[in-house]
Amino acid sequence: MRNKKISVKNIYKSFENKVVLNNLSLDIYESESLSIIGESGSGKSILTRCIVGLLNYDNGSINFENLTNINALNDREKMNYMSKFGILFQNSALLDSLNIKENLKFASKQDSFTKILSEVGLPHSVLEKYPSELSVGMQKRVGLARAILKRPEVLILDEPTTGLDPIIARQINLLIKSLVRKKKITTITVTHDMESVYEFADYVAFLKNGIIEWYGKAKKINQSKNSSLTNFIKGIN
Amino acid sequence: MTRLLSNALALTKRLFKLIFSFFHTIGEIVDFFLDCLKYSIIEKFYTNIFLKQFIKIGFNSLPVVGLTSIFTGMVLALQSYTGFSRFSAESAIPNVVVLSITRELAPVLAGLMVAGRSGAAIAAEIGTMKVTEQIDALKTLSTNPFNYLIIPRILAGVISLPLLVIIGDIIGVMGGYLICVNLLNFNPTVYLQNTYNFVQFIDVFSGLVKAAVFGFLITFMGCYHGFNAKGGAQGVGQSTTYSVVSSSILILLMNYIITSFFFKL
Ligand SMILES: Nc1ncnc2c1ncn2[C@@H]1O[C@H](COP(=O)(O)OP(=O)(O)OP(=O)(O)O)[C@@H](O)[C@H]1O
Ligand SMILES: [Mg+2]
Repeated sequence: MRNKKISVKNIYKSFENKVVLNNLSLDIYESESLSIIGESGSGKSILTRCIVGLLNYDNGSINFENLTNINALNDREKMNYMSKFGILFQNSALLDSLNIKENLKFASKQDSFTKILSEVGLPHSVLEKYPSELSVGMQKRVGLARAILKRPEVLILDEPTTGLDPIIARQINLLIKSLVRKKKITTITVTHDMESVYEFADYVAFLKNGIIEWYGKAKKINQSKNSSLTNFIKGIN
Repeated sequence: MTRLLSNALALTKRLFKLIFSFFHTIGEIVDFFLDCLKYSIIEKFYTNIFLKQFIKIGFNSLPVVGLTSIFTGMVLALQSYTGFSRFSAESAIPNVVVLSITRELAPVLAGLMVAGRSGAAIAAEIGTMKVTEQIDALKTLSTNPFNYLIIPRILAGVISLPLLVIIGDIIGVMGGYLICVNLLNFNPTVYLQNTYNFVQFIDVFSGLVKAAVFGFLITFMGCYHGFNAKGGAQGVGQSTTYSVVSSSILILLMNYIITSFFFKL
């Protein structure tokens, strides 16, 4: 029994004259893990930004459980709405004037971050460091820790393993898998990493030119006859 | 003939576009201001951020403001001496120095210095946070960026500029004193007494009102332009430039308006 959590209905989004999302519809179900794949520039990040309410779509509607058309929420409702999401931004977006500990405090008031740090494979010593003193891959893992610490209803991960070495990438994939399988968190992952898809995706949406070109069970992705999708998968392997 | 017409048409179109974008910007600025007001009333105040910004904008600007004030006081004394000695009115020098410093020069120069120093820094910092999605991240972490970033900075500006100007007033007068006593053989006590007896409350007060307004303009413009930065490093650079240019012009404009309000003839 699948419960609809978020439903994206016929949304459009364009910048100046460039159409980025073109009549796109997509449903996201409770406790499921959805992977969004697609070429660079196909609109994956823009779609997630629309879903969390950081960006207004031009037309159509996004509904979250009983909330309809999140574009229309007022400031306070929007704040409340956004707090349901834990987000790993594509470029991590850590606050660079604060050290890692202070960054994590935004997500959780607790004092000890030992557990979460070991889960994302970071040494305890990073707590006193500033984001600029960490490598891109380490920043990404701090960003992931921050997203998870919130205990969000929906986790949105924009390329969680890009830029990580294979061993750490594998550890992160397993961590996300355990969040999805054990904690049953609804997860949307934007990724170029087919490992991630095979490891923890229940469903996959393949985005091309602002529309969902293919949607289906992750297990069936290799049986798809959609030529753009098969080319895309071949291309990144 | 048709070419002339189409040229004229294109020109009018551009003119209208310009006028439109001007009013559009004004509208955006007013919007931003109303948001600041709204959130400052209804939401959380971050005291620690305010104190940090107060140190950054106020305390750290002391050397710059002190230096500009002392040299301005010195040059004022020197210049008025060369003029006034022609009709033996040297005794008016302390009066000229203290009036010019408190009413005009200390607030305006401190304003322009801080606009270049702190206004630019604010625009760059907030602009970078904008283009690297740190502001978006704040929003999703239940932190209102107006309360966390903007209101503490504006308040720090409004409070620290008058304090800087009080110090600038004193240092500026001391600059004039140094020149008159050491170079022009004035009697030190007479100089100070002259200054003290001549200056009125309204002279200093109007300067401090100016300073508070300038402090608002500097930090507000820095925040506004930073918050609306687009693109990457280039956009941040542009927002810095806009912030310094717009706040400098507004400082000079408001300086005139406030002066004419206080000393209407
Ligand atoms: N602020 C903006 N102004 C204009 N165009 C934009 C803006 N943001 C994104 N775009 C355009 O929207 C398109 C989709 O961008 P998006 O960031 O969603 O791509 P993506 O699928 O996440 O790509 P990647 O895999 O490289 O992260 C791009 O072509 C980009 O040029
Ligand atoms: Mg992206």
